[in-house]
Amino acid sequence: MTGLISRRALLGSFAATGTLLAGCSRLDDKTPFRQLLDASDGFTMHAQRLILAKRPLVRELPFSQISATFPMNGTKMPQGDYYKRLLDSEFRDWKLRVHGLVDRPLALTLAQLQSLPARTQITMHNCDEGWSAIGQWTGVQLARLFALSGLRPNARYAVFHCLDKIDLDGKYYYESIDLDDALHPQTILAYGMNGKQLPVGYGAPLRLRVEMQIGYKNAKYVDRIEVVDRLDTIGKGRGGWWEDFDNAVWYAGQ
Amino acid sequence: MKLREDPVERQIDYRHPLPVRLWHWANAAVLVVLLMTGLLIFDIHPHLYWGEEGHAGVPAFVSLSGTHLDRDSPQTDLQIGSRHWDVTGILGSVIDDGFGGKYLLAAPAPADWQFGATRGWHFAFAWILGLSLPLYGLYLLGSGRLQKMLIPTRGDLRLRSIANEFWQHLRLKRARGESARHYNLLQKVSYLVVIFVLIPVLVLSGLTMSNAMTAAFPDLIALFGGRQSARSVHFLAAMFLVAFVLVHVFQVFVAGFFNLMRSMITGRFVVDREDSV
Repeated sequence: MTGLISRRALLGSFAATGTLLAGCSRLDDKTPFRQLLDASDGFTMHAQRLILAKRPLVRELPFSQISATFPMNGTKMPQGDYYKRLLDSEFRDWKLRVHGLVDRPLALTLAQLQSLPARTQITMHNCDEGWSAIGQWTGVQLARLFALSGLRPNARYAVFHCLDKIDLDGKYYYESIDLDDALHPQTILAYGMNGKQLPVGYGAPLRLRVEMQIGYKNAKYVDRIEVVDRLDTIGKGRGGWWEDFDNAVWYAGQ
Repeated sequence: MKLREDPVERQIDYRHPLPVRLWHWANAAVLVVLLMTGLLIFDIHPHLYWGEEGHAGVPAFVSLSGTHLDRDSPQTDLQIGSRHWDVTGILGSVIDDGFGGKYLLAAPAPADWQFGATRGWHFAFAWILGLSLPLYGLYLLGSGRLQKMLIPTRGDLRLRSIANEFWQHLRLKRARGESARHYNLLQKVSYLVVIFVLIPVLVLSGLTMSNAMTAAFPDLIALFGGRQSARSVHFLAAMFLVAFVLVHVFQVFVAGFFNLMRSMITGRFVVDREDSV
């Protein structure tokens, strides 16, 4: 992937030069700056929610426009024996768990997920690095899963806990969206890509497609979905791996 | 407009009312932050494409890429259209990815750079640019300043006047007397282009890169001919704005740094007499 920089690679370079993000005294970590960034992101979210009041869909593209190649970003192969065993058994023994502030916690095999009504959409993936590629995604709407599980009245966010470790100190990837985005009709958990089983490099067994938002929100290797009422107990408290360790914006509809 | 007339020495115009000065300086600061963060964002994927998609498998019309990455001293290749230049040491910085590979950035990044935060700051300051522009547009229209200061007069457009103006510009001659009291044609046109073309194009092409915004306003994509086209237009418009700022600042020095800075800070502009030295 010459010319395509994965930010995981960048992090590696920073680690190599001994200046890893954690522990550095940084402008963005100081409260007023952090608050200003968060305020701006909150302002963006509220402004966009007003604009999106009619809940429009993102553009779906024709089959002919599917990208011949699709960049493989972030983790390409999750580390560890656990994932290897899952892969060797073609995820037969793996179950997606939906838990937290739900009425009926779920544990669904890939076959069970695939037996639910599916949604297929051809959309553009926009990475925050600047590139775009078009892919076809097949999966089950998150709204459908939440209809099965039920949501408690205080449910506010869906947190996606993943099977891959993107950082160097061993934390599994995690991301979160609020219910507004989670219940959007184009927000799906995809098990298929371009008409085939979702390949490992793109997030097998399951990846989130949250089409209203940018690349890093589309968590790969989703293992379980936790429904919560607040994000400050997740990770370092900002709702996602990039949000916690790179000060990325949490609401990424920009 | 005319505040005071000194028959002996000089004349002082109240040239820039408060909204003009506020917009000018707020946007000057905002543009510096947007340019710096924007270049850092471009840094991580220094390739421009036309159309919808754009990634490693798609031809770029502008591209910086590393060649001979496996060697000790990798080289940087700048491609514009079908032409290539070796820009090793001028543009591009090859970094070790820590996993046994090498990658190229358009420019060296700070060691503790947080890409995510860079985008956050870009959006935060873009709000100021995006919100102040329509307000300023309304002010220009409502106050009559647009008509009075910016729209070229019939006199401006006379061939003789245009030729004379180009000649004065080439000689870097400072305007004096009555002609110093008005913007000249080149000034008017460049300010109009910045306010009514470049900045709106920057704002709209920026919005076109947002999934949510294009869901709400699908016409944005058609306007720019695709998501990657919008990104490229965003970059090119930013470069035109940088060119404007460079010329603008240069002209401030030519035309009288002190007087022009005073006029954009206090509003008061001193008009030199025709025959002054």
